[in-house]
Amino acid sequence: MNWQTVLLIVHGLLAVALLGAITHQAASVLLPAKRPAGSFVGRFRAVPGPSYVNAIVVLYLVTAVLGGILYTEYRMGVRTVVEQLGMWPAHGAFELKEHLAAVGLGLLPAYWYYWRFTGEPRTRAALTAFLAVIVWWNFLVGHVLNNIRGFGV
Amino acid sequence: MKPAFAIVFAVAFAIAYVASVVNNYALFTYHPAIGEFGLGVQKGKDGPAMYWYGWLATSGIVASLAGVFAALLPESATRRLWPGLTWSVALVAIAVLAYDLRQFFLK
Repeated sequence: MNWQTVLLIVHGLLAVALLGAITHQAASVLLPAKRPAGSFVGRFRAVPGPSYVNAIVVLYLVTAVLGGILYTEYRMGVRTVVEQLGMWPAHGAFELKEHLAAVGLGLLPAYWYYWRFTGEPRTRAALTAFLAVIVWWNFLVGHVLNNIRGFGV
Repeated sequence: MKPAFAIVFAVAFAIAYVASVVNNYALFTYHPAIGEFGLGVQKGKDGPAMYWYGWLATSGIVASLAGVFAALLPESATRRLWPGLTWSVALVAIAVLAYDLRQFFLK
């Protein structure tokens, strides 16, 4: 197993953690549960959103940095194949993934600020939902591209 | 952190990133085939050229400068900044970038 494959697995595991954290937080802020929650779905929505903020920021940054390192491998070894196979929607989806990741990076200070310091519930909810959509898109597209051509094959 | 910094950073980053992508304002270029960086926008050397890192650097610097400038302004000048600009400008930026990629989805 080469280092790119190891890094890809770590990148994927961190993305899973980020996906879980941001989805929990988005559910808690968009569909807050009546406490005490009894059902599984109710408990999923009843998590204390503020306690996830720092973890989400750190996970987003670390996942993005690892993705940035792996991006060179994608550009050299994967994108060429995707282009040769004429899989243009997959190619476009990955291009959008890199743009979404970048725009999400720019939102992190505001996301952190509006969770930590002020009473702007609508802004907080919108930023959280926005980041959740970005994380879901990037996770699914990364998964699909890895299925098309994983590293180390 | 002041709210003005948070708002202006998010808005400036989104706008600078779109401008960087559309006009290719990469601060530097990475050549993955030979593992070298080059200042500004360069053509590929022995393979493709990668501009994404350079776009991020350009956007990060522009947003940081704009955010610090906004944070230094008196509060009376920034009090009316609408926090919703953070996500609404980012949403428009993504719409523009998605439109820019439309050819991939229409082939």
